[in-house]
Amino acid sequence: MSKEIPIWRVKYFPNTLEQICGREKLKGRLNSFIKSNNFPHLLLAGPEGIGKTTIATLFSKAFLGDLFNPNFRIVYADIPLTSEERKQARTEAYVSKSKIGSLAGRTITTPAFLQLKIKPFIQLKVFGGASFKILIIKNFEALGSNQQGFRRLMESYGTNCRMILITTNISSIIDPIISRCQLLIISAADYTSFKNLILDIANKESLIVKNKTIELLYRITEGKISNAIDLLQLSSINSKNVDLNKLYDNLISSQNELIRSLLLLSFKGDFSKARELSRNIQASYRYTAHEIFKLLLNELLKLPLSTFSKCKLIDLIANADFRAIDGLDSDIQVSNLIAKICYFSEFI
Amino acid sequence: MPSKLKKNIPWVEKYRPQSINDMALPTAKIKGHKVKLNEDLKNFIEYFFKEIEQINIKNRKIRQFNRTHLEKEQKEVLKIAPEKAAILLEGPPGVGKTSIVYALANDLNMQVIETNASDTRTKANLEAKLKETVKTRGIMDYIMESKRKLILIDEVDGIYGVSDRGALPTILNLIESTQFPIILCSNEYKQNLQPIYNKIKKYEINPLPDQEILRVAKRILKEEKISDLSEEDLHLIIEKNNGDLRGTINDIQALSQGVMDKEYKDLILKLHRDSYEEIFKLIRDLFQKVRTLKEARGLTDKSDVDYNFLYKWVNENLPNFINLKNEITNAYDNLSIADEIFGRIRRNQYWSLLPYFYDLFAGGVALSKSDKSSKPGFRRVSFPRYRTSGFFAVTATEKLFTEKIQEKYNISEREIIQDFLPFLRTLCRSSRRQLKEIAEWLELDAKEKKLLK
Repeated sequence: MSKEIPIWRVKYFPNTLEQICGREKLKGRLNSFIKSNNFPHLLLAGPEGIGKTTIATLFSKAFLGDLFNPNFRIVYADIPLTSEERKQARTEAYVSKSKIGSLAGRTITTPAFLQLKIKPFIQLKVFGGASFKILIIKNFEALGSNQQGFRRLMESYGTNCRMILITTNISSIIDPIISRCQLLIISAADYTSFKNLILDIANKESLIVKNKTIELLYRITEGKISNAIDLLQLSSINSKNVDLNKLYDNLISSQNELIRSLLLLSFKGDFSKARELSRNIQASYRYTAHEIFKLLLNELLKLPLSTFSKCKLIDLIANADFRAIDGLDSDIQVSNLIAKICYFSEFI
Repeated sequence: MPSKLKKNIPWVEKYRPQSINDMALPTAKIKGHKVKLNEDLKNFIEYFFKEIEQINIKNRKIRQFNRTHLEKEQKEVLKIAPEKAAILLEGPPGVGKTSIVYALANDLNMQVIETNASDTRTKANLEAKLKETVKTRGIMDYIMESKRKLILIDEVDGIYGVSDRGALPTILNLIESTQFPIILCSNEYKQNLQPIYNKIKKYEINPLPDQEILRVAKRILKEEKISDLSEEDLHLIIEKNNGDLRGTINDIQALSQGVMDKEYKDLILKLHRDSYEEIFKLIRDLFQKVRTLKEARGLTDKSDVDYNFLYKWVNENLPNFINLKNEITNAYDNLSIADEIFGRIRRNQYWSLLPYFYDLFAGGVALSKSDKSSKPGFRRVSFPRYRTSGFFAVTATEKLFTEKIQEKYNISEREIIQDFLPFLRTLCRSSRRQLKEIAEWLELDAKEKKLLK
C-alpha cells in the first residue's frame, strides 16, 4: 500500500474472519461450516453496528475463496425500488406468448422487489466449481409482507444459493423464515478482546491509553468497535496521550449526546428550543420518527430517574411511536412527544 | 346594444392578445436553459406538420404493402415521436400560457380545439371531443381546405380524481397517434403527471416582470379612458399580483367598475389574491379569534388553501401562539391524531375520514388554548420551514460522495449518512490537515469537500 489510509476505522478494518475481534465461539462455528464445505441458510440477529455484515461478508469470502466475486451478492432490503425499477418490473411481469417455456402467456405475480433484486441472482447457475452461491440480505425485516414470497424462494433455490439474512429486529421476522434458517445471535465483542484490539491499535499509532480509558470507551460505545475506533482517533488528534477528559470532550458531538441533550431540554420544559434541536437532528442524520424514538428510549434508560417516571416516559414514547406508524409528518409526531415530555417533566 | 355587450366582457377576454408579437411575452426555460418562446413554438408547429406529412406518406405505402402482401409479415405503421408531437407549458397562473397558444394560432391561421378543467375529462369524453379530430382528417377538411388545427389541453394538473378517470392514458395515446400538434398547459409539478413529463419537452414559464405588466395595464387604462387610478395604487396592485397579468387586469377592472366613492386601498386589501397573506390571516384568526369548533370549521371551509399545507402551517406556528405547557400538549395531541388520520386517508383512500381531520387540526388545536393565555395582538406567523420526507433519501452530491466512500470502505448508504459522515465532519472540523488527507484519499472535488465542513 503506497498511501496511509487516514481513517483508522477503515485502516484497521478486518480482512479475514480471524481478524474479527472476539466472539470465538461464533468464529469456531463458522469455521466448521467452512471445513465441511456446507452450511444451512443463516439468520444473523443482533444490535446495530456490532459487525453482523462484516462477519457475514468475511465468512462468505473465506467460504468461496477465489470464486467470491461472481458468486456473492449483498442486497439491502430497506432501500425502496426506484420508479424506473418498478416500471421495469411491471413490463417484465408479463411473459409474451411467443416465448418458449411453461411461463409463456402468463403473468408473474412475484413481488417486484424479489423479482428484480433477488431472483436474477439466485436463478443463475453457480459460477465455477463453488458448492453454491451466497446471498446476503441486510435489514431483512424491512421486507415486511414480502417475507411470505421469500420463503418459497428459499426452498426452491436453496440448493443453488444459500442465504444469509441479517436483521436487528428478530421479532418482525415471520416464523416460517426463522424455522428455515440456522439462527445465530451475535453479541458485541467481549471486554478482553476489545481491550486487546484497542491496545494493538494504540501500539501501532504510538498512543498512550490507560486501562481505565479503555474501560470507559467500552462502556460508552457498548462494544461497537467502529465507533470506539472513531472516538479514539478524534481524541488523539492533538496529543498522543488519550485520557478520560478528551474522550468526554469528543463525546459531546456524537449523536447519542445530541439525543441526550434533546431529552434534557425537554425536561427543562423549553419546547421551542427542543423542537429546533430535534429538527436539526432529523435533518442532519436523516432519521425517521421511529429512529428518533428508538434513540430517545435508549438514552432515557441511561438517565438517573426513578423507575416510576421512566415507565411513564416509556409509555409516552410508545404511544407516540404507535401514532407515527400511520402518521405522515414525522416532525409533528416528534413534536408531540416533546410537548408531552415538557409537560410531564413538571411532575418528576 | 353591441356596445353594452362589449362592456360586460371581462377585460381579460377583451384584451386577449391577437398576435404573439404584440403580447407581453414571458421568458421561458427548458431544463434551466433560456429559450425564446415565440420562435420555439413556431418552429415546433412548422416542424410537426413537415414531419407528420412525411410519416403519412410512408404510412400510406406501408398500408398498401400490407394490403397487397397478405402472405408476408405485416409491417408496423410508423408513429411520430412524442417529443415532436406535443409540448408542455408549465408556469404560474395568469402569465399568459393560454394566451400564447391562441395568439400563435391566430398568427399561423389555425383553429384551436381546447379542453380545460371545466370539462369533465373522462376517457370517453376526451375521446369524443378530440380523438376523431386528431386521428383522421374529415372528408370536409379535404374538400374545403379548412384551417389547420392546434390542440390545447389546458389545466392538465387539474386532471384529478374519479371524474377524470382514464384521462391520462387517453392523452398519452393521443400524443402518439395525433395528426395535429398538441400543447399542454399546467400550473405546477404533479406527481401523477410523471408519464407525461417523461415523454415530452417541458417549458418552464417564468412570471412576467413588473414593467411589462405595467405597460399592458397602462395601455388598457388608456383605452378604457380611466384616469382616476393613481400610479401608486397601480403599483400596489401589480406588486400584490406577483407576476400574474390576468390577476392584475381583473383587479383593475374590479376597481374601476366598482363603486367609485369607496377608498381604493380598502378595496385592494379586500382582493385577496396573494395566497401567503391569506394563510397568515387564516392562521391568526384560527389561533386568536376562534371560540367554537363551528367557527373553526367555517374558517377552514371558507378558505381555499390546500389542507395539505394548512396543517403544516398550523404545526409550524403552534408554539408562536400557545405558550402554556399543558395547552401545547393538548394541542399537539390533537394535531398528531389529525396527522395519523390524514396518513390513513392518504394511504388507504378513506376520504370519508376527512371531516375528523379538519376538526382536529384546526378547531382541536386552536381551542386547546384557554381564554386566559390568549392575548390579542400581533404575532409573527412563519413559513413551515421544515420538510419531512417519509423515507430515507440523499441528494445528488451525497450520492456521489457515498459512492466514492463505498469504493474504499464498503458500508451501506444509510450507515454512511447516519454514522460515518458525522464522524468525518467532526474529524475535519478539528484539523485542516485531516480534511486535506481525507479529501486526497477519497479524491473529492470542491463540492464534495463542502459536505465535510
